[in-house]
Amino acid sequence: MRIKVFIVLLLAAFVTGLFFVAVPAQAAEPIKIGALLPLADATGKDGSRSMELAVKQINAKGGILGRQVQLIVIDDELKAEKAAAALDKLCTVDNVDFIVGGMASGITMALIPGMKKYGKVVVWAGAAYSGVEKAMEGQDWFFHLHAWDYQQGAYYEKGWAEVKQKYASFKRDKMFMAYEEGAFGSGSFKGQKVLAENGKYEVQGEAFKSAAMGGGDYRSVLRHAKEFNPDQFIWVGYDKDALPMMEQAKEIGFSPLTFVGSPPAWPVDFAKQPLNEGVLLYSYWADTMKNVSRASKTYSDAFHKEFKDTPTTYFGPLCYTNIMILADAIKKAGTIDKAAVIKALETTNYPSPLGDTFVFKKSNVIDHQANSWPKFMQWQKGKLEVIWPWEYATAKMIYPFPAWDKRGKASATIEGEKKAVPAKDAKKDKVKK
Amino acid sequence: MKYWKYLICAVLLIVAVSLPKFIGVYPLQMANIILIYMALALSWDMLLRTGQLSFGIAGFFGLGGYATMLTSTYFGFNPLLSLMAAAITAGLVAALVGYSVLRLRALYFAIVTLALGEIFRVIAQNLEITGGTEGMLLKQTMFKGDAASTYWVMLAIGVLTIIISIIFQKTRIHYASTSIRNDEIVAASSGVNIFKYLVIIFAVTSAIQGLVGGAYVQLYGFVEPTATTFSINFVLMPITMALLGGLYTTWGPVIGAVLLSVIAESLKLRIPYGHLLVYGIIMVVGILWFPGGIMGFIKKMFKISNQ
Repeated sequence: MRIKVFIVLLLAAFVTGLFFVAVPAQAAEPIKIGALLPLADATGKDGSRSMELAVKQINAKGGILGRQVQLIVIDDELKAEKAAAALDKLCTVDNVDFIVGGMASGITMALIPGMKKYGKVVVWAGAAYSGVEKAMEGQDWFFHLHAWDYQQGAYYEKGWAEVKQKYASFKRDKMFMAYEEGAFGSGSFKGQKVLAENGKYEVQGEAFKSAAMGGGDYRSVLRHAKEFNPDQFIWVGYDKDALPMMEQAKEIGFSPLTFVGSPPAWPVDFAKQPLNEGVLLYSYWADTMKNVSRASKTYSDAFHKEFKDTPTTYFGPLCYTNIMILADAIKKAGTIDKAAVIKALETTNYPSPLGDTFVFKKSNVIDHQANSWPKFMQWQKGKLEVIWPWEYATAKMIYPFPAWDKRGKASATIEGEKKAVPAKDAKKDKVKK
Repeated sequence: MKYWKYLICAVLLIVAVSLPKFIGVYPLQMANIILIYMALALSWDMLLRTGQLSFGIAGFFGLGGYATMLTSTYFGFNPLLSLMAAAITAGLVAALVGYSVLRLRALYFAIVTLALGEIFRVIAQNLEITGGTEGMLLKQTMFKGDAASTYWVMLAIGVLTIIISIIFQKTRIHYASTSIRNDEIVAASSGVNIFKYLVIIFAVTSAIQGLVGGAYVQLYGFVEPTATTFSINFVLMPITMALLGGLYTTWGPVIGAVLLSVIAESLKLRIPYGHLLVYGIIMVVGILWFPGGIMGFIKKMFKISNQ
C-alpha cells in the first residue's frame, strides 16, 4: 500500500513538475518588434528582407532572453496618413515592444506625434532631414542610425579634401549642383552653399522637377551646368532621375571632370547601363564591400543564401544593423524594460555590414546619433566600387569622367593608369581575415 | 418612408459618435483617413454636378493645410480656430480666383484648376515664412493626438460635408447645377444665374477641401509642399472613390471612400508586397463593372429615380 501511495505521489510530482516546466515555455511571449518601411520601394524591400534575415538568425540561435523575436513589418506606402495609422496599429493592436525602420524624412515627420504619444524605444534607420532631429530634442527613447543632412555634407567635404590632398591632378574649384525641388534636394543645395563658402570654392545650382514627381526633362539644367563649366557636377534626386539624367547629359555632350549622382537608391538595372561608367555617387554600402569588410561579407552571403538575390540599396545592411543593434541591447539589458534597454543601447558597439562600428553619440540636437558615414563610390564596369574612405576602397577612381565620344576605350584612373584597376585584384588583399 | 430615412441617419450618427467607446486607436485612425477622403470625394462631386471637372482638390487642400500651420505657428490660433481659418482662406481664394476661371469650361477649366494647385505649391515652396521646400512642423497636434477627440473633429467635418451635399441636392442649387450641367443656354434662358451659382459652389467645395487640409495638418503635424501637402494623391484618390461610388449623389462618394479605404488597408495587411497591384485591379474592375458607380447599380436594382 505504502509503495502504491509512494508511486502515486511520485507520478503526481512528476506531472506537476512537467506542468511547472511547461508553463514558462508557454508563457514566453515573443519579443515583438514593429517595423515601418515603404515596401513598394527598393529601399523598403531590401530593408524588410534584411530585417527578416536578422530576426531569423536571432531566432535560430534561441532568440533573446529565451524568447523568440517576432517582426511585424507594415508598409508605410510613403504616405503620411498611412504611416501614422500603421504606427497606431503596431502600438495598440500588435502591442509591439519596440519600433524600428523608417526611410523618408517626410513620412518620419508625420510619425513624430505618434512616436511621442506612445514613447516606445525607437531605433530609426532613415530620415536625414535635420528638421526631424530638432523635433526629437530631449526624447531619450529615440536612437537614429542614418547621418543627418548636415553631417553628410560635412563628411563629403572631408572626403573630397582627402582626395585632393592625395591626388594633385584632382580639381574641384567650381561645382554645379542640380537638385530636385523638394526638401531633399533643396536642403542639400542650401547646405552645399554654406560648405562652399567655408571651403572657398565656387558653387552654382539649379532645381529640377524629379521624374519621381512627374518631371524628367533635365536638358535646361544640364545646359546651364555645361555653360558654367564646372569641375564637379552633382545631381541630387531620386532613382527615377538616374537614367534620363545620364541620357540627356550624353545628348548634350556634358562631361565634367567628375559626374556625381546622389539618389537614396539607384534603379535596379542601372548596373547594366553602359552610361553608368565613371559615375560617382554617395552611398553607405555596396556589395563589393564584402571584399574589404568581414561583417559586410557575412551579411552579403547570408542575404544571398536566403533570398538568392543581392541588396541593391544600403537600406538592406542598414536595416539589418537596425535589428541587430536592438537585439544586442535587449540581451545586454536582460529585460525589455524601456529604461534598461535605453541604457544598454547607449553602450552599443556594433560592427555593422556598412563598415562602420556603430556607437551612439550626441549630435547637434539629439543624444543618440549613430556614427554611420557615407562613402564615395563609382560605377566601374557595371559594379559599384568604393573609392573613399581609403580603408574601404575596392578600386581606384576613374578620373576624369570619360567623355561621351571616347567611351569604349580604356578609362584612366586618377593615378594615371590606362585601365581601371580590375575590381578583383584591388580587393583580394584587403579582405580582413 | 420619409421618417425612416431620418431615423436610419440618426442611428448611424449615434453609432458613429459613440465609436471611440467601442474601438481602438488604430480603427479610429483608419476612420479619420476614410473621413478625409470621403469629404474630398464628396466636395469634388458637388462641383461636378454643375458639369465642371476640377483637378484643384490638392491645391485647396494644401492651401488650407498651410493656413492652419501659419495661423497656429505665427498667431497662436487654437486648433479649431485654425481649421476655420483654413476653410475661410480656401473659400475666399476660390471665390476670388473663381471670378476669372469659372468663365472657362470643360478641359480648360480642369487644366486651370490643376495649374492653380501647382501655383499654390510653388508659392509655398518659395516663401521663407512657409518653411520653403522643407516645410514646417506643428508644435503640438490637435488635442495632443487624442484619438477620440480628433476622430470627433473629423466626423464633424464629414457630417458637415454630407449636410452641405444634401442641402445642395434638396434646394434650388440642385436644379441650377443640373440645368447648367445639361445645357447652359437652356439654364440661362430659364433665369438661372449660372456664374453666381458656379462661384458659390466652387467657393463652398474649396472651403471644404481647405478645411480637410487643415485637419490633416492638425492630425499629422506638418506641412511639406512637394511630396505630401499638395500631393497628386489628394486628386486621384477622391476622384476614383467618387467614380466607384457613383457620381452626382451624396452617398456614392461616401460608399466609394469607405469601400476603397477599407479594401486598401485590408489588402496591405494581407499582401504586404503586392497589395497595390491587387488594389489597382480591383479599382479598374470595379469601375468597369459599375459604370454608374455602386449607387447607380443600387438605383438600377431598386429602380430608384434620381429625384
